[in-house]
Amino acid sequence: MESITLEMAEKMLEAAERWAALSGFPSSIAVVDEAGAVIAVHRMDGAGPMTTDISINKAFSAVYSGAPTLMLARMIDPRMAGPTLGSGGLGLLTQAKLRLMFIPGGNPIRDDEMNVIGGIGCSGVPAGVGEISDTTVVQAGYAAIYDEND
Amino acid sequence: MNLDKAKKVIKAAVDKAGEMKKPCSIAIVDKKGFLVALHRMDNALIPTVDIARDKAWTAATFKMPSSEIIKFGDPSIPGFGFNTQNWNDRLTVIPGGIPIKNGDDVIGAIGVSGGTPEEDVIVCEAAIMAAAGSH
Repeated sequence: MESITLEMAEKMLEAAERWAALSGFPSSIAVVDEAGAVIAVHRMDGAGPMTTDISINKAFSAVYSGAPTLMLARMIDPRMAGPTLGSGGLGLLTQAKLRLMFIPGGNPIRDDEMNVIGGIGCSGVPAGVGEISDTTVVQAGYAAIYDEND
Repeated sequence: MNLDKAKKVIKAAVDKAGEMKKPCSIAIVDKKGFLVALHRMDNALIPTVDIARDKAWTAATFKMPSSEIIKFGDPSIPGFGFNTQNWNDRLTVIPGGIPIKNGDDVIGAIGVSGGTPEEDVIVCEAAIMAAAGSH
């Protein structure tokens, strides 16, 4: 299992920032390691102060749950009240010292054996899902290291 | 403080810390204390992330090096007790946070954690000097 170095994190941030700049929304992007601990965070000029902590916590949540935060968002969606909320989905809200984010925009990063080696999160683009969203920014970010390995 | 300048300061700090073989975390905040950029070098301990950020916040908002906050522990001077109030869980008295100035104005701060307090201060100062000279 390889781990994410500062150099890789910077490469991901650079790619993600380029994508965020293209979409016209300055945002914060954070990369964390397999322990959910911050490796690098950048807040682009013009992004709001709260975006830093949100991006860090999205990346942490992705590592902690092993799934995109989009899935966490789905789990507490009121429209899912029967399948997940009813069977304890709401209990997630208070986990991890209140650091879990239920907003799309955090994805785990996996190695070739599908082990989670880290996470990346973005906050600042005003939509969680879709073509211009926090999720596409993080995808642009981690694509940067996969490109190099293949 | 903008991201470009923050990156420059961080790069200088990473170079200096690498030279000293002390993996550490470096945080840059703007003048309001809000985080702009934060890097943790490979092999730096996990808690250094938050300690570096706390030091930077302290230096930016008090407009003085974090090492000087300890003086508020002296009952004979005004402000006694600041150092223990810790109202937002960020205030720290550990050396290693230094304001970044443009002339006389504080435009942000750097916080470094990873080595001994003395080493952290050396990295801070080297980074500020290097970044000031680069533009």
